[in-house]
Amino acid sequence: MTKRSSTSKVWTIINHEYLTKIRTKGFIIGTLLGPLVLLAFIFIPVIVTMLSSESTAKKIAIIDNTGKLGQAIVDEDTSKYFITNLSENELRDGVLKDKYDGYLVIPEDFLQKGEATVYTKGGGGLGFISALKSNVRDVTRKERLLDAGVDLNVINVINRGIEIQTEKITKEGTEKDYTEVYAIVGYVFGLIIYTLMILYGQFVSRGVIEEKANRIIEVIASSARPFEIMMGKVIGIGAVGLTQVLCWVVMSVVLLYLIGPMIGNMVSGSHIAQMSNQMGNASRQMALPSGFEIPAISPWVFIAFIFYFLSGYFLYATLFAAIGSAVDQESDAQQLQLPVMLPIILPILFIGSVISNPDGMLSVILSLIPFFTPILMMVRVAATPVPLWQVALSVVLMVGTFFACIWLASRIYRVGILMYGKKPSLKDLVKWVRLSG
Amino acid sequence: MEILSVNNIVKRFGNYEAVSKVSFSVGEGTIFGLLGPNGAGKTTTIRMITNILIPDEGEVLLFGEKVGSSQQERIGYLPEERGLYKKIKVIDQLIYFGQLKGLSRTDAQSEARKWLLRLDASDWETKKIQELSKGMQQKVQFISTVLHNPDLLILDEPFSGFDPINTETIKKIVLDLKEEGKTVILSTHIMEQVEQLCDNICLIDRGKLVLSGLVRDIKREFGRDTIIMEFDGEDSFLDQFHNIKFINRTRNRAEFRVSDGESSAMEILRAAAQNNNIYKFELAEPSLNEIFIDVVSRNEAKQ
Repeated sequence: MTKRSSTSKVWTIINHEYLTKIRTKGFIIGTLLGPLVLLAFIFIPVIVTMLSSESTAKKIAIIDNTGKLGQAIVDEDTSKYFITNLSENELRDGVLKDKYDGYLVIPEDFLQKGEATVYTKGGGGLGFISALKSNVRDVTRKERLLDAGVDLNVINVINRGIEIQTEKITKEGTEKDYTEVYAIVGYVFGLIIYTLMILYGQFVSRGVIEEKANRIIEVIASSARPFEIMMGKVIGIGAVGLTQVLCWVVMSVVLLYLIGPMIGNMVSGSHIAQMSNQMGNASRQMALPSGFEIPAISPWVFIAFIFYFLSGYFLYATLFAAIGSAVDQESDAQQLQLPVMLPIILPILFIGSVISNPDGMLSVILSLIPFFTPILMMVRVAATPVPLWQVALSVVLMVGTFFACIWLASRIYRVGILMYGKKPSLKDLVKWVRLSG
Repeated sequence: MEILSVNNIVKRFGNYEAVSKVSFSVGEGTIFGLLGPNGAGKTTTIRMITNILIPDEGEVLLFGEKVGSSQQERIGYLPEERGLYKKIKVIDQLIYFGQLKGLSRTDAQSEARKWLLRLDASDWETKKIQELSKGMQQKVQFISTVLHNPDLLILDEPFSGFDPINTETIKKIVLDLKEEGKTVILSTHIMEQVEQLCDNICLIDRGKLVLSGLVRDIKREFGRDTIIMEFDGEDSFLDQFHNIKFINRTRNRAEFRVSDGESSAMEILRAAAQNNNIYKFELAEPSLNEIFIDVVSRNEAKQ
C-alpha cells in the first residue's frame, strides 16, 4: 500500500468537509434559490407595474354634464373612453353585465368644484384610478386655464414647459435612483455577508460539536494534529461557502445582464411604452425608462464581496470552531457564542448611518475595525468610491486579525476537543489559551 | 524486540497529575493489557501514546523513535467512546478514516471492502451509520481501526456492544493479527479477556503504575491460595472457617481465598466431605480479577 505524506492530511479533511457538505439538500436548494430571491426583488415591482398597467385598458363610459370636458378626455385615450347618452341605470346594468368596466359622471359644476365620480364593479387597481385621475386632471387644468382667459398658445407653452421639466426631473431621478441603487446593493451585499458569516460560522461550530459529541474527534486526533483538523474543517466549509457565493455571482450576472435586459426590453418595448404615452405626463414619470437600464455594478464590488466574505468567514469561523470545541452539545454553545456573535451583529446597527454618509469619519473608522470590516467596508465599497488606502488598510488589518484569531482558536481547540463534562466559561477558555503553551 | 517504550511519562491538567511517572514497554507481536480502575489515567496514557496529548515529562518511543505525526499512521486506535458520522455512508466513512491514516483513496476503498467482507458486513456498504444497529456500528468502528494495516493496535474495551458471537469473531481477528506480527495494547475491565488474550499486563491506579509483568508470573507470584469448589448439599460448613475470603458464593458453588494456603485447604476439604457430595475441589491461582481488586484496594488503603 502506498503511504502518502502527512501534508496531505489537511487536504483530506478539506476534501471530506467540502464533499460532504456540498451534497446536502440544504446547500443545493440554498444555492439555486439565492439568485431567484434576488430576481424576485428586482422583477416583482416590474411585473406588478406591468400588470397594473394592463388593468387600465378598460372601457369607461363618460356622462359629461359640463359639455366641455368629455371629448377632451376621450381624445386622451380613444381606446379607453367614450361619451355616452345612456342613463345611469342603463350604464349600471352594462357594467354589471361586463359590457364596460365603469362609467364616469362629470357634474355640471365640475370645473368649479372639481368633484366627479367613477362607478365600477370594484377592483381595477390603483393604476387604473390614477391613470383616469391624471387624464381628467390634465383636461380639466387646460379647460380651467382657457376659462380664465389664458391664451391657448400660452397653455401649450406651459404644458410643454412642464414636459421639459418632467424629463429633467426624470433624468435627475434616474441619477438619484442610481445612488440609491448602489446604497441598496451595498446594503444587500452587507446583509448577505452577515448572513453567510453567521450561517457558515454555525456550520463550523456545529461540525466541531458533532465530532466531539459523537467522539469522532478522538479517532481523527489520533490521525492528524488538532490544528490540521481545525483548519481543514474551516477551509473545507469555507470552500463550500465560496462555491455558493460564486454560483450566486455567476447566476446573478446571468440574470441581471442577460435575462434582465431581455425582460426589460420586452416590458418597455411593447405596450407599456405605448400606454405610458397615453397615460399622460404624471404617469409617464412612473413608467420604466426605455431599455430597462440596470446600473452597472463594478466588477470590483463583486471582487470586494468575495474578499470580505472570505476574510470575514475565516475570521469568525476559527472562533466558532473554538467555541464548538469547548462544549459537549449544541445547546451549551449558545451562551459561549455571544461574544463571537456580538461583533457580527453590531455592524448591522451601523449600516444605516454608514449608508447615509459612507465617506464620513465615523463610517471610515467603523469600517476599518477588523471585526466590522466585512460588513461595513462592503457597504461602503458598494455605495461610494472608497479611497484605495482604506481598502488596502482594511485588507492588512483583516489578514492580521485573522492570524491572531487562528492562533487563539487553535489553542482553545486543542484543549477543548478532549474536555468533557463541565460546561466551560469564558474564563476557562482564557485559561486554556495560556495552558496549551 | 520492543515496539513501544513509555519512559517516565507525566501529564498534568492544571494542578491535577493524571499520569505520574509511568513506564512500561511492549514487545513486538505481543498483546499487552493496560489495566486500571476508571479514572486511573489509562485514557490519558493512551492519548500520549497516540500523540493526541504530549507528555509534560518523559517520552514515548514508538518503533524506536519519539512519537510524532509520522508514527500515527502506524497506529490503529479504537477509543472506548465510539463515534462515527451518523449521516455518512459506511464506505465513505471508512475511506475517510483510511485516508487520514495515509492511505490513498483507492487503497482505502479496497481495504474497506475487504474488511467488510471479512466481518460479513458487505451489505451495509452504502448504508448510513444511523441506520445500523449498535453492534453493526461497532464492527464498522473496528474496521476503521485496522483498515490501514497498523503495526500497533490500541483497543480500548473492544468487545463492548458485541454479542458473544461477534465477540468471538473480533477476538479471533485480534489473535490473527497477533499471528501476523502485529502488536496489540488491550485496555479492558473484563479480566477474563485479559487472561485469555494478554501476554503482559500493567496495572495503573491513580496515575501510577502499581503492577506490571507477564500474566503468568504475576499470577504465580500471588500464589495458589484460591479454592473453587462445587458440591451438593449444605454449605454452612464454610462458616466455621474465619480465614476465608469469599470471591463468589452461591448455593452449590463457592470460590474463595484462604489466607494460609494449602494447609487450611485440607481442613476445608475434610469438613466439606462430611455432609456433602463434592463434585469439584480446585486449588487455583487467583484470577486476574482478584488480583486487580486486591491490588487496587490495597493501594487505596495506603493512600
